[in-house]
Amino acid sequence: MRRRAGVGAIQKQRLEQEKYREKGSEIQENQFQQMSKQLEVFRDNLEDFATKHKNEIKKNAQFRRQFQEMCAAIGVDPLASGKGFWSVLGIGDFYYELGVQIVEVCLATNYKNGGLITLEELRTRLIAARGKAKTHQDITNEDLLAAIKKLKIFGNGFTIVPVGKGKWLVQSVPGELNLDQTLVLQKANSLGTAWVSAGILTGDLRWNETRAQNALDHMVKEGLAWVDSQDSKETLYWFPSMFAECVSA
Amino acid sequence: MAEITWPWQYNFPPFFTIQPHSETRAKQLEAWETLIIDYLKASKQSTIDIRESQNTPLFNNAAIERKLSQEAVLTILEDMAKTGKAAPVDKSKNVWEIYWHSLDEWGNMIYNWACNNGMNNSVCTLFELREGDNTADQEFHGLDMNVLVKALKRLELKSRCELMEFDDSQGVKFF
Repeated sequence: MRRRAGVGAIQKQRLEQEKYREKGSEIQENQFQQMSKQLEVFRDNLEDFATKHKNEIKKNAQFRRQFQEMCAAIGVDPLASGKGFWSVLGIGDFYYELGVQIVEVCLATNYKNGGLITLEELRTRLIAARGKAKTHQDITNEDLLAAIKKLKIFGNGFTIVPVGKGKWLVQSVPGELNLDQTLVLQKANSLGTAWVSAGILTGDLRWNETRAQNALDHMVKEGLAWVDSQDSKETLYWFPSMFAECVSA
Repeated sequence: MAEITWPWQYNFPPFFTIQPHSETRAKQLEAWETLIIDYLKASKQSTIDIRESQNTPLFNNAAIERKLSQEAVLTILEDMAKTGKAAPVDKSKNVWEIYWHSLDEWGNMIYNWACNNGMNNSVCTLFELREGDNTADQEFHGLDMNVLVKALKRLELKSRCELMEFDDSQGVKFF
């Protein structure tokens, strides 16, 4: 017959648990203190690093990217806040400045592209506007993408539309593009023609008539596409943002 | 044929189809109006006959096989009429006068020229204004006769000049 647990055994068990708990919180306390210490050291180092390399961060694109990658690897976003110790890095300022310039370029070209611009055109125009000094010219696509992502806090006014390997469009009008419209842009980009048609969408993407027409009509309504009814076969939908002469105009 | 730098839109095929979306259409019309005025200015013309519009390279870009239909030309001209940049000459709205400057602007320009050249209280013929050596560097040199007369009539209303008829030509006296 199995013995039932006595009062003594229960109390012993409780005592053990108590001790475990005490030990546990002690370890936790230790770890916390250690972490705080580490964080403090890290922070000091980072501040040192930042003040030492502030100019480097602003001027050197390669360095900037590595710094971004390093931050991403340890799970911090140096642009998340202008407050706190990240602000001493001055790296936020760089991207804020870039953000303002991006908005300016987008607004200035809106009259011809309807608020859609390729990242290359944006970069070319932005660099032209920034002045001739080497440090002003050294802006990479990554810098621009990072800065545009920050503009999201203003709502969906600025969004990045990936349209193929290493190719992006920047949309600067409110209103989100749905998946189909993004696919339309990707198609136009991959064809390299600056136009698409319902026939191409139904043929290449295996969409039905209605789906293709809806997507195209919507883009016309958003002012992103122009209708061309003089093609011998079908109606073409042109994107000024991808039309070479418009880009260089 | 006029020598002008074509804007990028001229090679953009949908530019030759009137756009259904109102905002895009507004941009399109604006670009057309600028282009029409630049083109006529360069070729010293002031009238457009819609029936013949497709014969001019202005409305017909053979390189990309796109042309502006007669209705489309009419749409653009009617829009220009709203801002005083164009006016139909005949009732059927086939022939239009295009003013690269409004009639008042033309009038002032001519009047300023007259004042600067001491022509006040003297008479000069319209031929002199249009073809004379004195006006060779003026923008109104070679201006369409009908437009010139209309501009001077506006000036006349402001008592700045008086149009007069000679035996076989017209003249104007500036005050």
